[in-house]
Amino acid sequence: MNLAGFLLAEGSEDAACAWCQSYPCLASLSCWGIVAGALGLLLMLPGGWKRGRYLGVLLGCAGLGLLAADLPWFGDLAHQVFFWLLAGTALVAAVIAISVRSPIYTAIWFAISLLGVAGLFLYQEAPFLGVVTIAVYAGAIVVTFLFVLMLAQPAGHTVYDRVSWGWLPKPFAVIAAAALTGLMTFAVASLPSTAPIPTADPIAGDTATSGAPDHMANLGNTLFGTHLVSVEVAGTLLLVALVGAIAIVIHGKQPQLPNQGVEGARNDE
Amino acid sequence: MNEMALLQNYLIVGGLLFAIGLIGFLVRRNMIVMFLCAEMMLQGISLSLVAFGRFHGNLGGQMMVLFIITVAACEAAIALALILMLFQRSQTLDIAFWQNLREEGQPRFVDQQIPEEIEDEREWPQLTPAGVEPELDLEQQRHRTRV
Amino acid sequence: MDEILKYLLCITGLPLAAALLIALLGPKLLRGQSHWLALAAALGSFLCSVLLLLAVRGEISKAGSPHGFEKVYNLWTWADVSDAYDQRITPPAEGSGSVTGGLHDFQIEVALRTDALSAIMLCMVTFVASLVVLFAIGYMKGDRGYWRFFSYVSLFIFSMTMLVSVSNFALLFVFWEAVGVCSYLLIGFWYEKPSAVAAGKKAFLVNRIGDFGFALAIFLIWTTFGTLNFHDSDAVQGAAATAAASPEVRGVLGATRIASDDYVVGPHGQAVLLAICLLLLLGACGKSAQFPLHVWLPDAMEGPTPVSALIHAATMVTAGVYMVTRCTPLFTASPTAQMVVACVGAGTALLAGLIALTQNDLKRVLAYSTVSQLGYMFLALGTGSMAGIVAGMFHLFTHAFFKALLFLGSGSVMHAMGNVIDMRRFGGLRKRMPITHLTFACGCLALAGVFPFAGFWSKDAIVAAVHDKAHVPAEAHLAAADTIPVHLAGYEVSGAPAEHSGSSPYASIYGWLYYVAMVTSFLTAFYTFRAFFLTFYGKERIPPEAGHHAHESPLSMTMPLVALAACAVFVGFTLDSSFADFLQQTPSLAAGAVTQTTMPGFHLDVAVISTVVALLGIGSATYFYLGDRNEIARVGKAMKMERRPGLAGLSPYQLSLNKFFLDEIYSAVIVKPLQGVARLSYWLDRYLVDGLVNVCGRIPPLAGLLMRSLQMGLVQFYALAMVLGALIMVAARMIWAAN
Repeated sequence: MNLAGFLLAEGSEDAACAWCQSYPCLASLSCWGIVAGALGLLLMLPGGWKRGRYLGVLLGCAGLGLLAADLPWFGDLAHQVFFWLLAGTALVAAVIAISVRSPIYTAIWFAISLLGVAGLFLYQEAPFLGVVTIAVYAGAIVVTFLFVLMLAQPAGHTVYDRVSWGWLPKPFAVIAAAALTGLMTFAVASLPSTAPIPTADPIAGDTATSGAPDHMANLGNTLFGTHLVSVEVAGTLLLVALVGAIAIVIHGKQPQLPNQGVEGARNDE
Repeated sequence: MNEMALLQNYLIVGGLLFAIGLIGFLVRRNMIVMFLCAEMMLQGISLSLVAFGRFHGNLGGQMMVLFIITVAACEAAIALALILMLFQRSQTLDIAFWQNLREEGQPRFVDQQIPEEIEDEREWPQLTPAGVEPELDLEQQRHRTRV
Repeated sequence: MDEILKYLLCITGLPLAAALLIALLGPKLLRGQSHWLALAAALGSFLCSVLLLLAVRGEISKAGSPHGFEKVYNLWTWADVSDAYDQRITPPAEGSGSVTGGLHDFQIEVALRTDALSAIMLCMVTFVASLVVLFAIGYMKGDRGYWRFFSYVSLFIFSMTMLVSVSNFALLFVFWEAVGVCSYLLIGFWYEKPSAVAAGKKAFLVNRIGDFGFALAIFLIWTTFGTLNFHDSDAVQGAAATAAASPEVRGVLGATRIASDDYVVGPHGQAVLLAICLLLLLGACGKSAQFPLHVWLPDAMEGPTPVSALIHAATMVTAGVYMVTRCTPLFTASPTAQMVVACVGAGTALLAGLIALTQNDLKRVLAYSTVSQLGYMFLALGTGSMAGIVAGMFHLFTHAFFKALLFLGSGSVMHAMGNVIDMRRFGGLRKRMPITHLTFACGCLALAGVFPFAGFWSKDAIVAAVHDKAHVPAEAHLAAADTIPVHLAGYEVSGAPAEHSGSSPYASIYGWLYYVAMVTSFLTAFYTFRAFFLTFYGKERIPPEAGHHAHESPLSMTMPLVALAACAVFVGFTLDSSFADFLQQTPSLAAGAVTQTTMPGFHLDVAVISTVVALLGIGSATYFYLGDRNEIARVGKAMKMERRPGLAGLSPYQLSLNKFFLDEIYSAVIVKPLQGVARLSYWLDRYLVDGLVNVCGRIPPLAGLLMRSLQMGLVQFYALAMVLGALIMVAARMIWAAN
């Protein structure tokens, strides 16, 4: 059961024409949703038709709505609304993040998108991840980005921020992404809706999935028990990255006059 | 709660996030924005992984996400250091500047379509460039109350 | 080791060693002393040749054989291919007693042979070579390529001695080419001189035509007779031990085949044999400068004069004569081929004599006289009678001496005149160069054929042999063969006109050739003495190039002149029974049809006629050229046909001076069309073949151009490509899963 089925009358399914039956994927709402979303995104991306952005917003919203309407319900209406609130936050913020011109806005909208994702994590009974996402991503990484922007961004917003890649790469990218999503939607939709709910993994412990108070303890057990080596490797990776970043900054400086590179770059361009 | 349907919903949302990040990565020209888009793709993956973990009833998915965050942090460190270096060399964050890997004799790929600055959108937030002393408004200084 | 083998190895090995040593040590170590090695090698070679001659003579007198005397030594086997060819020609019947082994196997053995013919040739070659090397010491003094010259000459001596010593057509061909290479190297010795380079090239290319014919002849010989060996396999020294194991191979010129006269093989035997003979003749024409291919020899005079004397007068150019003599049994079996040989020889002799009349270049006169004398030799061989062959070989022998003498004499003149060779620019040198003058006179008398000089005997023998061939019927030969021939005695023509029907079918042709030989004899005497008088008599004229050189040459140059002059005077007397008898012990001549022809004899009447003719020639030359007379101008005016300007270009004088325009005709008929073909081929290659290749070569870049635009160096483009690729794989996986 989904929103489409909820809204449409039972009998209208008989009206499905032979064309729709022979091409079931074209008949599905999610297909049209993806097309609409892709078109909307195409219009919203920077460097396009100026007025088209509003149309793009409309199309994007419509596409998201169609897609959402086609998805099966997993619980009662409250759950659904709550889920789509979080997911909508994440998706809409993501779309805005790639659409706005200023990289600073991009970073901020990305952080908002992260908040939605963190909410989805929480909803999935992964509170630790949710908190970590907010703390590490929204708190640390995005702030680092802002620092770098501060260091690197020239005054004003530049030509390359006002445009995205032109006529060929943009449609290609959007079509590729749309095709990817469509394929995935198709694959997900073809999953058996009545698959048996798998029992709890004996390795992970009985209470692994519960939002019980010992969730953190379970997580810690798994992390430092089953995945101890991975933790070590990840730690080493962090150390190496740290050293690498410092080395790049120290040794990557070009021993030349500061203006020369600029001139050369401009001339080359 | 229909776990299967929940999984489907999460997968779709994760996939959408991934696709949006992909589009952003492919079409934006600012290197930092591209990098943010890559992070966005990682978020989409993370969502799917967590959903799978819940569906299968273990913590494997969450473990993966933890490591993804770790790797993303490393990536951020390295990538930002590189971006800084590149910026110091070229004074631009435009990815179009770095086309030197192209085939010999191949002309630079130049995007001709550069729109005019949109007048009514000139109000952009702007961070003060680091390391540069902010310009002091002498008038303001003069009338400033001394503590 | 056998004594004879030792001599043979010394004769051929010494010059080779000298050539290699000089080539290795010459540029740095020997330099101006390079001649010692070459001289020692040549003299050692000559000594061994004389010893070999004596040894062969001793062997012959010890045990005379009806099949002649030969000794063959297998050094090693060069090529050995079993079942190389399925012999389709029916082998001789079982009962015939001859064994047919070896017909299927292709084998080249490095076999050295010695017999009367090769012993004489070796002696002559090494003797002239020694004297020429001695002469060259003085002549080449101070030349930049001093060591190179002696290295080449030594290499030539090696090649030439091997040429006459090998007992195999394949090896004969190898050394045939080797002497050709040496000739080429020595003609172009002064490679800075464009004319020398061109002459070398011309010699090489013209010789290619002859060599091509020779090679074809060799192929035909192998397919016809199944072997390339001259000798029977049981004639090889030390073969007795292995003879039982391997079947006997009857050599092409082996005693067995000659005795049974087994040369007409298969259904088209006569035609095949004729083809073989004519192709061999073509090869001989190339090497010996006979009519169609004679054009290279006069140009070869661009080389140093000692080389002209050694290679282009005395030795190498006689290789063709040697080869035809060696193949006498083949030619005897094909009378038509013999007639062609005689005609080619006589024609060349006459043609070259006519051309020599007007040449102004002393060496060129001598060169044409060489061509002419070689024509005489071919004429003699073409008679196919024992008398003719012996006469031809004897003429080869004597000609080597007096022609080498004349060339060395002209070299001496050149040396004194500062390399000027145009007879119009010098004259009256007899006072300044007395030795050269006297020795040159000996050479001229010998060449003209005046009694008792060497040329008289040999030329007379040739003319007599042609006369015999024309007038003595075959039956008379048979009758004469039984009696001991009388040498140096009157041998009247016994044939009556009635018996002419029984003689050779080409008797009338030989009759004409006899007169051609006589005319040539006159011409020879005339042009020889014309050159002699122009050079040594008249008013003394010395070109400015001579400088202070205009005096007699040094001792090292006059010594060979004197030695050769002595030979030119006395060597004619050796045409007694000993030379003929000795030569007849050559296997090629000892048996078969040749033995049934006339033994060499002396014809008083022919001798008288030819002497008169020669004296007439000398007399007219004296009349025209000795002293200042106007007759020559008048004759010249008539000959130049100056009254008819339209035909002046084709007047006898112009024809002779321009060598009957043969070079121009060759150029128009052969060289120009070939150049056209070459240009066409070049064009085809350049634009068609290369064009195709270039088109093929342009396709990958074009395809690459399409692909290259994909390599734009943009990170995002690569990412897009990756996404698309992943998409395709995912889609494929899903479709696969759905099905």
